[in-house]
Amino acid sequence: MPGMEDFHNGSEGSFNSEEADSVVKECIESVVGADDYSQNQVNKWTASIVERCLTQLMKQGKAYKYIVTCAVMQKTGAGLHTANSCYWDTTMDGSCTVRWENRTMYCVVSVFAVAIA
Amino acid sequence: MDEGQTEEETAFVVEEVSKIIKESVESAIGGNAYQHSRVNQWTTSVVEQCLSHLSKLGKPFKYIVTCIIMQKNGAGLQTASTCFWDNSTDGSCAVRWENKSMYCIVSVFGLAI
Repeated sequence: MPGMEDFHNGSEGSFNSEEADSVVKECIESVVGADDYSQNQVNKWTASIVERCLTQLMKQGKAYKYIVTCAVMQKTGAGLHTANSCYWDTTMDGSCTVRWENRTMYCVVSVFAVAIA
Repeated sequence: MDEGQTEEETAFVVEEVSKIIKESVESAIGGNAYQHSRVNQWTTSVVEQCLSHLSKLGKPFKYIVTCIIMQKNGAGLQTASTCFWDNSTDGSCAVRWENKSMYCIVSVFGLAI
């Protein structure tokens, strides 16, 4: 059936993580690119990064629900480790994680895209 | 679609999920001090245990579980998340846990199928 072939076409039906990766990098750069870690601005930065990423992703107009998470950590030598695990439809859903840093902070952003049935 | 299941059986119940997270964290790292060589194994263990308990609930949800473990040495850490989903059926729950040497932050997002 013609409909079914389109459904299984990889590039249109599934999550494109390279595209999401570059969207996320641009959002991080535009919010904190030139800044040093600042305790009283960090709240604003994380909120701004997740909102921007979400807006850009929604503009792609795909039938997905999105979850965007962002962690910003000051560089003081502390160890930080993150992990995630997902229980979903592996053919349609996907995620991408971007690790970014500058001289004074680390920023880790993850995007999870879940297809709407 | 919902035949045979009450609303409670198909909704995202925050207290129930919060309890699952707390138990998973306690059992994976409770009583341990931060150790760089083991933290990889710990984060994996926390997310896998959470996910396994969540899927046993048998609810019609897709789940995403994230875990952050950070050593306590005075660094500032800020996390945020935003979601584009169905407000009436989807939900999330975050738990912050700590002991003398580390912080552990676990978030669970549940999306109705």
